[in-house]
Amino acid sequence: MHGRPRRSPKPEDAAAAAAKASKLHELQSLLLQNHQNRIYTKEALLASSKLIEVNPEIYTAWNYRKLALQHSLNGVSDPEAIKSAVEDELRVVEAALRRNPKSYGAWYHRKWVLNQKLAEVDFGREFRLLDQLLKADARNFHGWSYRRFVTRLKNVLEEEELGFTMDMINTNFSNYSAWHNRSILLSHLLGKKANGFESKEKILSEELELVRQALFTDPSDQSGWFYHLWLLDQTCSGDQLKLISSWPIHQSKLVLPIVKEKDNCNSFLYPFQRETLPIVLYFNKPVKGITSSTVMVSSELAKNEDLTWKPLLASNLGEANCWATYLMILEGNCSTSQTFSVEVEVGCSEGIVSVSGLHYNPSKFKFSVEFDHNVPEQAQGNLAQEPFSWNYSEKFYSQENSDFTSFDQLKINDDALKEDLKWHFDTLSEEITLFKEMSEENCKFVKLTLARLLIAYDAMKSPENSLQQKRKHCEEALELFDDLIKLDPSHKRYYEDEQSLVLLDQVTSDKESLVKYCWQYDNPNFSTFRRHNCLQLRRLSLTRVGFVERMLWVQILDLSHNKLRSIAGLEALQLLICLNLSNNQISSFTSLEPLKRLSSLRVLDLSFNEIGAHPVDTTRYLCSSPLSHTFDVKGIMEVLQKDNINVADHWEMMLLFKSLNLKQLNMKGNPVSSENFGQLVTKILPSLHWVDGERVR
Amino acid sequence: MEERESDPEGGFSRERHVALMEMMAEELPGEYATQEVNRLTLAYFALSSLSILRALHRVDKDQVVNWVLSFQSHPGKNSDWDNGPFYGFYGSRTSQFSADENEIVYPIGGHLASTYCALAILKMVGYDLSIINSEALLISMRRLQQHDGSFMPIHFGAETDLRFVYCAAAISSMLKDWSGMDKEKAKEYILKCQSYDGGFGLVPGSESHGGATYCAVAALKLMGFIYTDISSAKIEHSTLIDVPLLVEWSLRRQAEDGGFQGRLNKPSDTCYAFWVGGVLKMLGAYYLLDHGALRQFLLSCQSPHGGFTKFPRERIPDLYHTYYGFAALSLSGEQGLDPLCVELGITM
Repeated sequence: MHGRPRRSPKPEDAAAAAAKASKLHELQSLLLQNHQNRIYTKEALLASSKLIEVNPEIYTAWNYRKLALQHSLNGVSDPEAIKSAVEDELRVVEAALRRNPKSYGAWYHRKWVLNQKLAEVDFGREFRLLDQLLKADARNFHGWSYRRFVTRLKNVLEEEELGFTMDMINTNFSNYSAWHNRSILLSHLLGKKANGFESKEKILSEELELVRQALFTDPSDQSGWFYHLWLLDQTCSGDQLKLISSWPIHQSKLVLPIVKEKDNCNSFLYPFQRETLPIVLYFNKPVKGITSSTVMVSSELAKNEDLTWKPLLASNLGEANCWATYLMILEGNCSTSQTFSVEVEVGCSEGIVSVSGLHYNPSKFKFSVEFDHNVPEQAQGNLAQEPFSWNYSEKFYSQENSDFTSFDQLKINDDALKEDLKWHFDTLSEEITLFKEMSEENCKFVKLTLARLLIAYDAMKSPENSLQQKRKHCEEALELFDDLIKLDPSHKRYYEDEQSLVLLDQVTSDKESLVKYCWQYDNPNFSTFRRHNCLQLRRLSLTRVGFVERMLWVQILDLSHNKLRSIAGLEALQLLICLNLSNNQISSFTSLEPLKRLSSLRVLDLSFNEIGAHPVDTTRYLCSSPLSHTFDVKGIMEVLQKDNINVADHWEMMLLFKSLNLKQLNMKGNPVSSENFGQLVTKILPSLHWVDGERVR
Repeated sequence: MEERESDPEGGFSRERHVALMEMMAEELPGEYATQEVNRLTLAYFALSSLSILRALHRVDKDQVVNWVLSFQSHPGKNSDWDNGPFYGFYGSRTSQFSADENEIVYPIGGHLASTYCALAILKMVGYDLSIINSEALLISMRRLQQHDGSFMPIHFGAETDLRFVYCAAAISSMLKDWSGMDKEKAKEYILKCQSYDGGFGLVPGSESHGGATYCAVAALKLMGFIYTDISSAKIEHSTLIDVPLLVEWSLRRQAEDGGFQGRLNKPSDTCYAFWVGGVLKMLGAYYLLDHGALRQFLLSCQSPHGGFTKFPRERIPDLYHTYYGFAALSLSGEQGLDPLCVELGITM
């Protein structure tokens, strides 16, 4: 039993222990003799029960008793005799459990005996035993497992068991085993929509009310908060699977310049590889099953069956929020001046499923593509001649005052998430009101939960949630996290990450605020886009990235002068050509893993980060690497060995840069960079023209 | 330094530990009488402790080998391997007796946990496991595996859960022969035990538990479903379990006092510094915990007599918590201790 202090032995204990040992020895020999000679007399059985009483760990004795029971009941049909034999076994188990309530052998023996279905089970007795046991140690997991066994045997309704967890919680709400059992039972009942559990809304409201009582009684106890978090998750995770954003967006018109190359072939300018065009889908939940049969792309431009969909931001279970494919434009199409319409039908056949088993309801979007053949000469990207500069006074135009044509690419799709979620709103507002009353107390759980509630509320789009209210909520959440950082500094990083998400939500949630951060970069020779959409999110104290589904259109992204430690999420930005991550806190190559998915990326500024400064790499276990066997190191190892370079020192760097097509890289001001390092990078990256502002090719 | 203040005797008292463990390896105190059936397991704790403490030279290795081998269950000439008991190792003399003169072996056999401990000890003292007669052991072990992939520990039947899946995997790994189990089935069973919070319960649907989580992750690692070794890279498998959630659950088991709890909202206990710490180590995420606080907690569980107790400031150590105290400190790189192969639970 937990928390029971151990005491030092006294001399009389020593004598008692010696006596016990000798008795034990005697009983053990007797048991083995009886076992071997198959003696199942009353005396022999008594001896074995005495042994078990002293030492329930002797599984041989339990097995002997099983054989003895089968032997003695062989051919017996008198119900009284059977009943009494079963009783004996149950008594022995009870004695053993008094000695050690955590004896696996004893619990198993009891289950075995009942499973033999020899006599009618006296369930009253079983439940009394469980009551006694859980009274002595309410967290004994054998007890909880055995309870599940007995209730199954008796066919007790799960609804009734809920009542039991209630009693246990009433006795001591700090008992997480009871809350856990409650969450499991409720999941089953709601899942099968049992009688009285048809309405998830009603049940969850009642549960919230219940856990609130526990929380208000002692806000510093963890158990209730964890249950509350589980409930919040059940409340917020909507039951619909939706496409929340895409590139190209619905009804957009793309005009793509085409150049004639020396061999008279048509070609796009980079970032797109020869005659390919990305399509990106972003869902509200991670999904799997995106293939050319579940997503149909209809157009004269390209053949649907040639498309391969790949997950971006994939979890290790293969589900992803974001999926992409590259259209291979059929020969001849580029040379015409025709307008091609492309229709994407998502979910045209079944198979798109979320982690929790939700299915996608079909939807469609359309866009058009035109090719522009009036492209000036020598348009083959100018990065070979001069490096790209992040100087906003040159070639950049603020979007606020400019009348710029591609603005519809910034359109934020508000309609996508509208749904009737009245209950969710009411529930969350009620929770918010209640927790606000408590938040004066300096309890970190209260503040954290309140912040989570505000964020969850804002995440739901509805006419009831006005922009002003959202802004107010964001401010409140940011303040709460400020308080939390002071109150609970050991979790500072978590709070900062949450703050970053709130900030990014604020910045990107409406056109009006987003435009303040948008620029346009005009350089017709730079890439296929001529006019580039630039998003400048500098000096916002961001520690992580989020809401990338609202940034799929970005070609130039400036995240410099933040506190970024991770860039997870950026892999969704398939159009990204230039990325500025300078003056952040990126501490390892492994945390740059998302860049590997950005095939358009040409310019990368990593200057003044902390790469190489920390021996502890907190992203290493999350990234694909030889360590997780998601990456083949063989090729890399050969290259390194040829040059006599130590694999262990450089594999992270090599794996990262090997998969990029950079023309320009800045690594200045990182502990890892040295002269030797520049040479190594140039060797690995044959496409590089500029390293740290110097021409290398 | 705070560590010194709370521990006036100055940190980790290695010599006292060695003396205690040497004694434990020689002869156990009377309080362990009821643990007699787990003799091999107790021996494993004592010997593996000495091995971590770099003091295994203090025992007579030949004597240890002969003693351990004497527990092996061998089939008789006419025994039917497909229907007999499990030809592993007995836990102790109590559960061991030989066939009668007619070669009839009573259906009592080896135990998976004892077999794991026996092989671990043999490996630890440098015995060549390839010369063990393992054919009958592995063939009979296969029958312990259930339809759902779990294992029962003895042929006669007993509770089945993740502990014995782990034992079977460790045994197969040490014998370098996986014919004694169906790895795919075992994997499926393990995956069913991961709870919604990221940890693993001993059986599907039960509350996440530190010990069960160790068994799950170590077994997956031994079976080759999780990798953290750069030199053995292959790409055909990827990780199957929700690793980020599991890492989060594991890290949250470090309580405010610096120690690890086995389940949510339970007191910290020495042994979970190994069970949960070991999980983090196997996932390559060990460095994420608060090492200073953990060491301070562990040292507060150090007994003045040598060894470790379950909770801080108790006095009388027990063999189980003592061993896992050493194992936990070995994980964190305590000076003077040998590193552990976490998934096998023995020094490298």
